[in-house]
This record gives sequence, structure tokens and C-alpha cells, in this order.
Amino acid sequence: MINWAQVLFNSAVTGSLYLLAAVGLTLTYGLTRFPNFAHAEFMAFGAYAGYAIAEQLKLGFQYSIFAAFLASAIMGAASYLLVFRPLTKRGATIIHLMVASIGLGFFVRHSIQEIWGGSPLTFRITWGYFDVGPIRMTSIWIIMICSALIMALIMHFILTKTMMGKAIRASANNPDLAMASGVNVEKVALVVWMIGAALAGVGGLFRAADTRLVPLIGWEILLPAFAVVILGGIGSFYGALIAAYTLGLAENLGVILLITLNLSTDYRFAIAFIILILTLIFRPQGFGKLFGEAG
Amino acid sequence: MSSSTLGGKTVAIFVVVLIVVAVAAGVGGYYAGHGAGYDEGVKVGGAEAYQKGYDEGYSKGFAEGVESVKPVLPKKIKIGSLMCLTGFLGPMGEKIVKGVELAVKEINAKGGIAGRPVELIVEDTATDPTKTLEAFKKLVEVDGCQVVIGPMASPEVMAIGEYANERKVVVISPTATSPEITTRFPDDYVFRTVGSDVLQGKALGEIALDRGFTKVATLVLNNPYGIGIEEKAKEVLGDKVILSVRYDPAKMDFRTELSQIKDSGADCVIYVGWYEDGRVMFKQALEMGLDNIQWIVAEGCYGKPMFKVPESAEFMSRAAIGTRPIAPVGLVTYDLFAEKFKKEFDEDPTMYCDTAYDATMLAALAIAHAGEYNGTKIKNSLEYVSQFYIGATGHKMFDENGDQLTQFYEIWDVVKEDGEYKFVGIGTWPK
Repeated sequence: MINWAQVLFNSAVTGSLYLLAAVGLTLTYGLTRFPNFAHAEFMAFGAYAGYAIAEQLKLGFQYSIFAAFLASAIMGAASYLLVFRPLTKRGATIIHLMVASIGLGFFVRHSIQEIWGGSPLTFRITWGYFDVGPIRMTSIWIIMICSALIMALIMHFILTKTMMGKAIRASANNPDLAMASGVNVEKVALVVWMIGAALAGVGGLFRAADTRLVPLIGWEILLPAFAVVILGGIGSFYGALIAAYTLGLAENLGVILLITLNLSTDYRFAIAFIILILTLIFRPQGFGKLFGEAG
Repeated sequence: MSSSTLGGKTVAIFVVVLIVVAVAAGVGGYYAGHGAGYDEGVKVGGAEAYQKGYDEGYSKGFAEGVESVKPVLPKKIKIGSLMCLTGFLGPMGEKIVKGVELAVKEINAKGGIAGRPVELIVEDTATDPTKTLEAFKKLVEVDGCQVVIGPMASPEVMAIGEYANERKVVVISPTATSPEITTRFPDDYVFRTVGSDVLQGKALGEIALDRGFTKVATLVLNNPYGIGIEEKAKEVLGDKVILSVRYDPAKMDFRTELSQIKDSGADCVIYVGWYEDGRVMFKQALEMGLDNIQWIVAEGCYGKPMFKVPESAEFMSRAAIGTRPIAPVGLVTYDLFAEKFKKEFDEDPTMYCDTAYDATMLAALAIAHAGEYNGTKIKNSLEYVSQFYIGATGHKMFDENGDQLTQFYEIWDVVKEDGEYKFVGIGTWPK
């Protein structure tokens, strides 16, 4: 008998990770209008910064979450200020920006490899495990789910209740109009790049603590993160929220289906992409428009 | 032509005499030692008698061989070798190449092959199939090698197999274990002196049967290594396999795969993985509470790197046993090899130095038996002489596909002593 409660729980863990990884990607896409491939390295950099705090300085995992958040926020800001904003000002197109982001990613990844080496690193923290009803949980899995949900709540609050949130939505919707209305679009973009990168860093840290840490860690979840962005509707936070958990569920159900069919779990990406292709055919705006947001 | 045929026959006799005398003396000495009744006697008596018989048989056959093959063999006999000296398997290859060097040195110290010295040409493959093919072409086209020891990794062997067949050059890998090598290159110029994982799959399946498990789940890497073992284990276990999972090592989020195994009610898991994914798999298996059933694990997860993750080490000490290829325990020829190796390099041989030594020795014997430096003749001779050769890793007889007919495996367990984890041998397969 399949323990469906466990499957749902596993899906929530997977989905939470995808959400943390995808929020920054979708928001920066909404504002600066290009897919940022260096987002994978924001995840990796946060994870390595967290590793330095938790394992090399032995300060405890709670501090490493802050370290990952801060380090990636700084990297996000630096990327925007030093690479993408100057390029945009010189009239770079989406292709230029995309290639620049791939180049930036290379640079960061190989710098990481120079500092920490390329072989897998491990967080030597043992997470307690326990049963809640029929569900087996560990503390890191619960931390992952809670962090993603708290982040979602805070983001919801920022987007709906603060001036900054309104500015973000306005800038994504129509930058010219926003600027004409007195919104400092560049400042808004900087804040979004910082927040998005910071959340990615935390996501990377969680993935590393749950599995192991390698320089390519971000690339392992960049593909599903892009799937979440498109499924949710590019630029839509709420769309991404639903899409992340949908994809998490689809992936875990997919694993069960693949095992039943005697196929390798390599094909789980095929399931994500079938969903993606169907979305692009039948609902190219994703889930975004459900919330009256800009596509 | 007729003189060369005659030469070949004489050499064949020489080889048979050599080996039969050596083996008979060795085995005789072994049992003489056994009769004396204590282990040390077995070792010393057996080794001495073996070495004596070997040396005597060698010099007798050698003299005859020199007499008969003079016109046919080249003045210098080239043996090529492809080794991973750099790249991913570099640390392993640096050691393994010493097994080849030791064999060549020994052959030359005894006068080479029928009086012709052996010249060893080693090329680095950088653990890269593309570079392997380039290096192989260099050995074949520039140096004119008709026999090559290596390469080490299965994908490297796959990369050069076709070219070897086309140019009729004998390739003997001491380390590549993938069963796909057998199916891609059956009955041809590709040989190996380590058992195919088909045998390890059988070993894993039989260990599960032996221990009375009736609900077995298989959990394997989705690649030729994992699938090869899975299919063979399933053949042995039949309907006792209740669930098969082939996983993607890059996924690393194995919770639902493990939940499926948990829900299936399996009492045993046959597992094939590598270090990086294996550590995460064991960590998550511990977290999912799968340490209460028996895990039987292939050699990919044998080694200290598994203990770098504390949960993985703990899980293995609680739930895992496994297999790895070894020379038969207490083998006189292995002890002799290890002694010579230590004397030459001032260090103990590590995994696969012995199979590399045997591969080189077999190549030399095959050239001697062929009486001619010609790939096709060497290939046919290799199949023949392998029936008589007892090397560092025991009987090295090839089957019709150029694979080992037998391979011994150690059954290992992980124990925790004073907070330290370590691997210990708890048995062998076959028993």
C-alpha cells in the first residue's frame, strides 16, 4: 500500500525547495526581462557561505541561514549593479543579458571551486527524525517547509501592504508608467535582485544540508525552477507559489508512476516538461493571470 | 610458413610444460604444507614449492622456446598500456600501472619472451574516453602495439572496442566491470581480468537467498553498471523481487523512492550506487527508517569515503553488508605477488594491482604461445593459455566473450569500534 500522506509530505519538501529557488528568478525576470542563469550560482554561493559558518567556523546552522541570506543578497546586488544594470544602460538585449548571466555564473562557480574545491562537502549535522502519524519527518525537512511558507507570507505582506511592494508590482507591470509616477525603478530592481538572490541562497543551503554540497548544486534545481517560473506565469509571485508545489507533487507522483512502470526516475524531468509544454499550449500565461497579476 | 607453425607448436608445448609443472608443483606444495597441519607451513611450503616449480618449468620451456621461434618474433616485443594516470581515476591508476610494470620487469629479468625483451609503452588516458581513443590510436598506429593492457574505466573500453576489433589488436582491461562490454563486444579482441558485474549480481542475489530473504527490493543506478547487476540479481531471485527502482544519481532527493521501498514491505534491499549518491541515499534511508531491514550493497560503495557523512556511516554499520572483488583468500600466488610488489615498490598492492599484473602476464604468455607478434594469433593464444594460468588473483580462464569465468568476492560488513567505523570481511562468494 502506498503511504499517500508520506508522498504528500515529500512533495511539500520538494515544492518548498523549488519555491525558494524560483521566487527570485520569476521576480527578476518580471523586472529586468531576461532569464538569469547565474541564479544557480546564487544558490551555490549561499550554500557555501552557510557551509563556511556552520562547518568551518562551527557557529551552528541557524547562523548559516543568515549567512546564506546575506551572502547571496550581496552577490545579487553586486551582479545587478556591476553587470546587468550597466549592460542594460548600454542597450543590451535579452540575448546579451542571458549570455552575460551564463558568463557570470561560470566566473562565480569556478571561484567557488578555487576556494572550497570541487569535491562534495557535507554538513556534519545529524537531523533528528520522528514519526507524526504515518509520516516520517526530520527537522531539516520541517525547517524547509516552514521557511518557504514564512517567506511566502512575508512576500505577500510586502507586495500588498507596503509602498515597496506596490512599486515592485508597478515596475513589473509598466516600467515607463511607474517611472512617470515617481517610482525609482532602478532602486526597486536592486531590492528585488537582493531579495531574490537571498532566497535562492537559503534554498541552496537547504538543498546542501539535505544532500551534499558541490559547486554545481544550483544547476541541479535550476531546470525545475525555470519550469516553476513558466508554469506560474513569468514574473508572477503567486503563480510561482502554486506552480512550485504543483511541480513538487507531480515529480513525486511521477516517481511512483515511473517505478510502477519499471522506468528510471531519470524521466521525472520528462513529467515536468510535459506539464510545461501543455501549459505553454493551453495556458501560456501560466497561473499568473488567476491572480490578476501582470504576466 | 611451415617453420612458423612448427615454432608455434613448440612454443605451445613449452607453455603447457611450464604451466603444468608450475601448477602441479605449486598445488603439490600447497597440499604438502596442508599435510603438515599448520597454516604457516601451508604458506611457506606452498610458496616455496610453487616458486621452485615455476622457475624450473620456466627455464626448461624457455630454452626450448628460444630454439624454435627465432625467425618469427621481433627483436623487441612491445606491450602497450592505457592507464588513468590523471583525471578522476588518476590516484587509482598510478598504483595499478605498477602491477603492469612489475610483470614486465619480471618477464625481462627472466630473459623476456623467448629471448626478446619486452618494451612497455604506457599512455595516460586522463580518465576520458575521447583521449583514450587518441592514445590507443597512437599505440596502434605509431608504436605498432598488437596487445594493450587497459584501459581502466568501462566507458573507455567501450570507446576503443570497435577500433580494436577493426585493427585486430588485443585489449585486456584489468578493471572494467560493466556487463555492457560483454554485450557490445562479444567474442572478439576485448578481454578483462576482473569479473563482469554479471557475477557480482549473482553474488548479491545468492547472498540474499542464503540469508532467507523472500521480499527483496532492488535499488540501482540507472546506468550499465546498476542495470547489469539488477538484471542478474533478479534472475537469481525470481519472484522474490517485489520492487525494482532505477534511480537518477543527480536527483539526490530520494525520499519518495525510499518511501516506495518502505511501503512495499521488503525485508531486504539490493543496492548499487557510487560514493556521492550512495552517501545521500544512506543518509535519507536512515532518516526514513529503512535501517531495520538488510541492505546488500555492491562494491561501488565499498571504501572509506562512505564514512565522510556521519549518517551514512551509521546507516552502514546498522544495516549494510556487501560484496567486492578480491583474489581468493589464502592464495599462495597472491602472497608471492604481494611480496614481490612490496619488495619492488616498498608499498602494499592496492585494489586491481593484482589483476593488472595478471593481465600483463597473460599477454606475455599469449605472445609466447602464438610465437608471432600478431593480434589475431595472440587473441587465439590468449584464450588457450588462460586455461592453464594461475595468477595473483587465481585461475584466470576466459569464457567465450573474453570475460572471467570465475571471480571471488569478499562479503563485507561495517562495524563501529570505539567510535570509528571500518569495513571487515565476514565471508566470501562463492563459499
